[in-house]
Amino acid sequence: MQNHLTERELIEYQFKLAPQMRMKEAAEHLQSCGECREHLEKLKRKFATLDLLREETKISEDLISRVVEQASQPVQKRIVWFRKYAWLSSAAAVLLVGVLLVAAQLSKDGSKKREFAKETIPVEEKIVLASKPEITSAGRLDEKAVGKRMLAMAPKGKEADRYAAVGGTAEAAIPEQAPFAPASAIELVTLPRRDKVQLTIYNSADLTLVRERRNLTLKKGWNWLQFMWANTLIDPTSLSLEPLAQADKIDIQQLVFPARLRELGRWLIRSEVSGQVPFEIMYFTSGLSWRAFYMGTLSQDEKTMRLSGYVRVGNNSGEDYENAQTRLIVGQVHILDEIAELAKRQYPYNRPVEFDAYGGFRALEEKPERLDEKLFYEFAEKELGTELRRKEIVKEGLSEYFLYTIEGTETIPDKWGKRLLSLDAADIEVESLYKYDEQRWGEQTIRFVKFANDEEHNLGQTPIPDGDVKIYSQADSKGYLSYVGGTNIKYIPVDEEVELNLGPARLVNVEPKLMDFKTDNFMFDTKGNVAGWDEIRTWKIEITNTRMLPIGIEITRGFDTAYWTMQTDIAYEKYDATHARFKLNLEPRSKRTFEYTVTTYHGVREENFAPKE
Amino acid sequence: MDNTDKSLIEAHCRGDPMAFGELVRRYGDSILGYLMRMSGNHYQAEDLFQETFKRVYEKAHTFRGSQFKSWLFTIATNVAIDGLRRHRRMRVVSLNQKLDCADRDGEELGAVALADDSYEPSQEAAKAEQAEQVRNAIDSLPARQRATLVLAYYQQLSYPEVAKVLGCSLGTVKTQMYRALRTLAQKLPDV
Repeated sequence: MQNHLTERELIEYQFKLAPQMRMKEAAEHLQSCGECREHLEKLKRKFATLDLLREETKISEDLISRVVEQASQPVQKRIVWFRKYAWLSSAAAVLLVGVLLVAAQLSKDGSKKREFAKETIPVEEKIVLASKPEITSAGRLDEKAVGKRMLAMAPKGKEADRYAAVGGTAEAAIPEQAPFAPASAIELVTLPRRDKVQLTIYNSADLTLVRERRNLTLKKGWNWLQFMWANTLIDPTSLSLEPLAQADKIDIQQLVFPARLRELGRWLIRSEVSGQVPFEIMYFTSGLSWRAFYMGTLSQDEKTMRLSGYVRVGNNSGEDYENAQTRLIVGQVHILDEIAELAKRQYPYNRPVEFDAYGGFRALEEKPERLDEKLFYEFAEKELGTELRRKEIVKEGLSEYFLYTIEGTETIPDKWGKRLLSLDAADIEVESLYKYDEQRWGEQTIRFVKFANDEEHNLGQTPIPDGDVKIYSQADSKGYLSYVGGTNIKYIPVDEEVELNLGPARLVNVEPKLMDFKTDNFMFDTKGNVAGWDEIRTWKIEITNTRMLPIGIEITRGFDTAYWTMQTDIAYEKYDATHARFKLNLEPRSKRTFEYTVTTYHGVREENFAPKE
Repeated sequence: MDNTDKSLIEAHCRGDPMAFGELVRRYGDSILGYLMRMSGNHYQAEDLFQETFKRVYEKAHTFRGSQFKSWLFTIATNVAIDGLRRHRRMRVVSLNQKLDCADRDGEELGAVALADDSYEPSQEAAKAEQAEQVRNAIDSLPARQRATLVLAYYQQLSYPEVAKVLGCSLGTVKTQMYRALRTLAQKLPDV
């Protein structure tokens, strides 16, 4: 039997790279050799993984428009300064090597040692000079200057001893001068995945503070860190980067937005350490939102309720957030700009400037407004406990906020919403209450469920944010539910009572009837005109409860004047200057009637008004 | 020669503003896909894409060949290789890069997890990891080998077409392809 096919032959066979004759021979061999067939199958499986990248690419209309627009722009002349003088750099490099050799030779000469020792050159300067030969304004290498400095690079005597003592510091020293903003051939620090991410969502302002922790691998010296925010709603003016360790050895120098590159910024970081360093990156983004909603289920006897609270977090920010700790801010915030508008802007702060004919420069567009920085720093410091260099705190604003933290972490991909359970409390004692107030709700009786956000009601752990609530009641022992009503609740602080308005009640009816009306006690002025009188009305109130449960009801009656007195057999309370309130309980399927007579005082009779205590 | 391509080129040279847009639309998907696989980076691919069509716009009057597609891929290859050379030391990592188990096309497996009941996190994670290994293996190829592989395997050009695009002989294309595959055989994940 012929020798087995080599891997090369198998690859050439599989991809039809071999001449026809060899292809035929390989095919014949494979028919008879199971081992080679197996080897080929293994290779096929391996190469099949290439198909993992065989995804369809669809070009966007936006890109087509950009391409057509850009292509039709007139060709710009390129500035070729550096290329023009490229030969000078080469010449300088050759010259430097030569000078170094000369310097080394000189260093052997003991008579020169003292001269070198007299000249003190900072270590950093050496490095700068070594990498940056001087070029005169005429574009020629200043040999004299280079020669002089280069001599200083190889100090002897005391200076040499000093450098030796620091053990390699000279080699590892960081150039003082920051590198020019990277254009293309520059090594960037890669941005690894997030270790932690925290979202603090201000719903009222379409504003979210994102706080990420990432471990960056830095090299000693200058590092560029690139951030891109294309297709997101990140506000680039709010980007902030802080080291969480080795802060004294790491300096975040600047954030630059290179020309012609869209939607990216680069941080310049000066590091005296090499290796992994945890960093915190903070920025504002738009597009994340949340809303709370609740479901209450009343027991059959309507004495207790189970309350489930949910928060729906929606993400349209263009960014995926994995395992994010999510915190929700309740309260109004004041910002100068709409973050979404900022994020969509092509240039983060402004357009690049262009020089005018007189040597000055002018911006290509008006300076845009910026995000309210006060808010950023105020929030970072107060809410996150983060110290930032520029601090400005508006304490008044903070008192309006409340932070609502969702337990654990959640993954919220872009374009997805997620409903999270925020609270679940059972056996909350509730009071079913009906109210009748003609001046507020007309002739309808309104149903309420009343409870308190406190420990006694199995709540009180946190305040309850605004949101829609739907109340169901258990219709039977099998657990079937019937819808009772829904409403919107306002923020409920701890230990605060809440009444949920569930809308008109159909099974409890209140019918007031005016039974009698008369006027009395007329008073006249000196001309004989009526100057004061009393109006006396007798009302009969009939309450019908057709429910199978006992109920409590509050009936509020208004008199349109603060000068009134009442006579009745049942208890009432003066609710305010112009209203009286009756509180009654009714048995299941029962009817109750009561009467009251109210006297209102008008004109000069008000002066004689003396309400009963 | 595809008459439509030719007529579009001629129309563009006559100053018809719509013709160029039509060419971009017609070849946009395949050229962008090619540049995506060449660069491995969506943003860089878009830049290279713009550069490619800018050259097409400027050099359209020099087109004398019979195959516009080959000519276009030749330009795209030159732009890509220049771009890769320029960016060879530049590693761009986007803030909105997908994290654990994302593919390169913007699909997020976490989203799939929510949408699809049959979602298997471990399988998807393994698949994402394999895709990353494949991407890295292709990225490790020299530019010419990468271009050969992408044109022949992903863009499904025949070897003579690849030779035409790359401006070399058929034998050279096959050699480049074999070398690329030999390297990949070492670096692709085992399945």
